[in-house]
Amino acid sequence: MSREDEIDDRGFKRDLLASLPNLRAFAVSLTGRHDKADDLVQDTIMKAWANQSSFTAGTNMRAWLFTILRNEFYSQMRKRGREVQDSDGLFSERFSVHPEQYGRLDLQDFRKALDKLPDDQREAIVLVGAAGFAYEEAAAICGCAVGTIKSRVSRARTRLQELLGVSGESDYGPDAGDAAITSRAFGS
Amino acid sequence: MSDDENRKKDEMTTIPHNELRPGAMPPNASISRKLREFYNAVQEEGIPDRFLELLERLEQAEKNAKSVNAK
Repeated sequence: MSREDEIDDRGFKRDLLASLPNLRAFAVSLTGRHDKADDLVQDTIMKAWANQSSFTAGTNMRAWLFTILRNEFYSQMRKRGREVQDSDGLFSERFSVHPEQYGRLDLQDFRKALDKLPDDQREAIVLVGAAGFAYEEAAAICGCAVGTIKSRVSRARTRLQELLGVSGESDYGPDAGDAAITSRAFGS
Repeated sequence: MSDDENRKKDEMTTIPHNELRPGAMPPNASISRKLREFYNAVQEEGIPDRFLELLERLEQAEKNAKSVNAK
């Protein structure tokens, strides 16, 4: 192994590690469960490691890893067939695994609502709204047109608003501060 | 990230003015914030040990394979 290769290898591992928390949050968003998400991340790390040579240094490793994880997720789903859709029973099972992380009732509700979205809408809103990708990057990761991503994000937002009963009223206490700022900004 | 913030600002300002009442807020802002809160909560859990160990093993296996090939 040449010295240059060794340096590249270290860079690869370092960048992979740096992307892991974000990648794992994406996996949790897709699967809805920590245990499944971690299995998916493990498979993704192994795939990524085995395909290091197909990664072009200097390009966006995070987008590359997200693409691998997403492909892995859908190919596993196809292999297993559609798993039983989430029921409230399954959710309480999930929450019992890491109850301390979901201490806030409104976050639990949010997670349930997110899990009720169709897969394509969920991944779109998570990639754009939380994982920090631009619409163009999200479209590349999902292998679809930018306009498709935009409409999925928009439909996901509408659906989440319906599911969470957010109607523009001040439903959530902690929003009061934001609401005041917004009201001022709009001069209302 | 700043593009992201600008976009979110744009989305907030597209809410029709007449839907905003005192004490109300644009529904998208609430959804976006909850999504980020949920996502950040998972990110902040950090990297489980099993992944650090896995990467160690992969690295070691690669080194071993290379030293065998070199012989």
